[in-house]
Amino acid sequence: MKDKLDTLGAKLARKEIRIPVDLTVGVLFFLLGGVVLLIMPHQVAISERDVVNGRAFPTLLMGLMMFCSALLVGKEIYKLAKKKPLEYKTVNLLVEIKALIILAILLVSYLLARWTDLFVVGAVFCALAFLIYFRCKKPSYYIITVGLAVGIWAAFRFLLNVRF
Amino acid sequence: MLQHIVPASGLLFTLQNILWINIGVFIGAVFAAIPGLTVILCVILFLPVTYSMSAIPGMMFLLGIYCAGGYGGSVSAILINTPGTPHAAATMLDGHPLSKQGRTKAALKIALYASTFGGIFSALALLFLGPQVAKFAAQLGTPECFMVCVFGLTIIAGVSGKSMIRGIIAACLGLLISCIGSDPMTSYDRFTFGVGRLYLGLDLAVCLIGLFALVEIVGRAEKKPDELHMDTSKMHDNGVITKAEYKRMARPTILGSLIGVIVGIIPGTGASEASWFSYSQARNLSKHPEEFGHGSVEGVAASESANNAVTGATLIPLLTLGIPGDGTVAIMLSALMINGLNPGLSLFTTQGDIMYAIMLGLILVNVFMLLQGKVLTPIFAKVVSIPQEILTPIIVIFCFAGAYSVNKNYFDVAVALVFCVLAWLLRKLDMPPVPILLGLVLGKMTETNFRRALLISNGNPSVFFSSVYCWIFVGLIVLAVGTILRGKLREKKPQAQPVTKEE
Repeated sequence: MKDKLDTLGAKLARKEIRIPVDLTVGVLFFLLGGVVLLIMPHQVAISERDVVNGRAFPTLLMGLMMFCSALLVGKEIYKLAKKKPLEYKTVNLLVEIKALIILAILLVSYLLARWTDLFVVGAVFCALAFLIYFRCKKPSYYIITVGLAVGIWAAFRFLLNVRF
Repeated sequence: MLQHIVPASGLLFTLQNILWINIGVFIGAVFAAIPGLTVILCVILFLPVTYSMSAIPGMMFLLGIYCAGGYGGSVSAILINTPGTPHAAATMLDGHPLSKQGRTKAALKIALYASTFGGIFSALALLFLGPQVAKFAAQLGTPECFMVCVFGLTIIAGVSGKSMIRGIIAACLGLLISCIGSDPMTSYDRFTFGVGRLYLGLDLAVCLIGLFALVEIVGRAEKKPDELHMDTSKMHDNGVITKAEYKRMARPTILGSLIGVIVGIIPGTGASEASWFSYSQARNLSKHPEEFGHGSVEGVAASESANNAVTGATLIPLLTLGIPGDGTVAIMLSALMINGLNPGLSLFTTQGDIMYAIMLGLILVNVFMLLQGKVLTPIFAKVVSIPQEILTPIIVIFCFAGAYSVNKNYFDVAVALVFCVLAWLLRKLDMPPVPILLGLVLGKMTETNFRRALLISNGNPSVFFSSVYCWIFVGLIVLAVGTILRGKLREKKPQAQPVTKEE
């Protein structure tokens, strides 16, 4: 199992995706600005009598965000036209999969705590899941980490009076 | 000032405050000593703890973390050649070579003494300069206050990350997120998407737990297995610093403290910039520049005094104008505001006793940092080698418990997770998180001043150019943007050369 995972990891570590950062940021945030402006009338109620209403500031922000995004996109298009190199960010597939696993541990810990309404259940799962993620083989680490997880819950529950 | 000192001392010197200072100093030093755990992360994690405290113990606790973090970062820099915090990187250049020469204890002592001197110097600067700047701030009206917010946001958007435009976009995102919830002037709900819990807005601590703390956990995916284990070298020396070394430390320590205070007052700059600048100045002025990089006592003293001298100075723009000098003190602003302490002259007049107690407390924090450093440094050194397998889940559990305890519901934990995913995506796009933090902190203040100014002028935007102060801030914004852009262009120049050669 360990060898299989290592082989798979080595394969994934070689796979990389290059993202044109400025172009992606420009397009994404231009679209975000546009979407926020579109939903603004449904999401921000105003009174007709107001000289400066609750939409003024978010509108100004989205205008600035779209302007800056357009600048980024324009700069990158100019670079493409002049055949100059774009700024890229390399994303490693193995790193991203590991990040997704960590996010999954966080999510399951949260869901366990919420469903059982017992924070300590989520905390113990989190402790064990991370030890397994790090491929820890030392029993003492398991005892210490689970003990600390229960200890933190107990400190919040009984000392700080947080009922969870 | 004197009329506030006596009652402030009475408020400060209580058993509760002394206890919280010491807890804060201990936690700050331990956190900063562990590579990968930053002071900002520590302050975020423990911010919810201060919600149930009054202003003085709460601020003393956070200032304890903040100041001791400055020293704690140097422990791992000296021991294992890995800075615990980014601003300890300059210390590493000479601290670790000193440790390799078998003078680990001596290097740690030099760092501790220089940090304490820098911290106390900075606290005194805050005590004497703060009220004067506050008097100036009192003359500012709503349009000027809006320009001050724009100035602070511009600088931080400019200096965080590689691209100024990306920084501005990030600041806009932070300001937009701060708009979620009830309108500060009309109480109509905004961007709540029918979720009742969003009406009160997003809690700053919860957002920051996701943006800065949980994302660091996800960032463990980027670490290689050998980076997760760090063994500390043992401290065998007696830690003696000779008279000649003390003499050599004096000048760089004073110079570093001065540089730290000046750099700290400028919003957007921080301890890292101060320590590098101080280090290079100390090398230029030293009689033994050849020793720098090979275990120079002056090098350690210069960088450590500068990075701790920033601590009090960053509070000057925070307490007087409401502009945080760096990300960590931005979080402290929320701790102040929860206790009804709003930045400005009123802090130094109507709330003078509390304010002076906090400023005097900063001196006390540095004294306790010195005492704890002298006694507990061996413990801080051991902490450096805590395995990440144990540390990582413990931080997550603290994050979840902290997020839950803010409003005692799981909704906030979910919000923290959403912000964690957002922060991870933004990290992939090289978007700096600090402008988002500033946007979140300054959002309400910026919008309220913007709208009030426009209301006064009946919607005429020329109100933002209606006074001398407005024009001064416009000038400062233009100057800051110009300087930042010039710096960025200079950074790009060496990269452009190889391309030209290839062509």
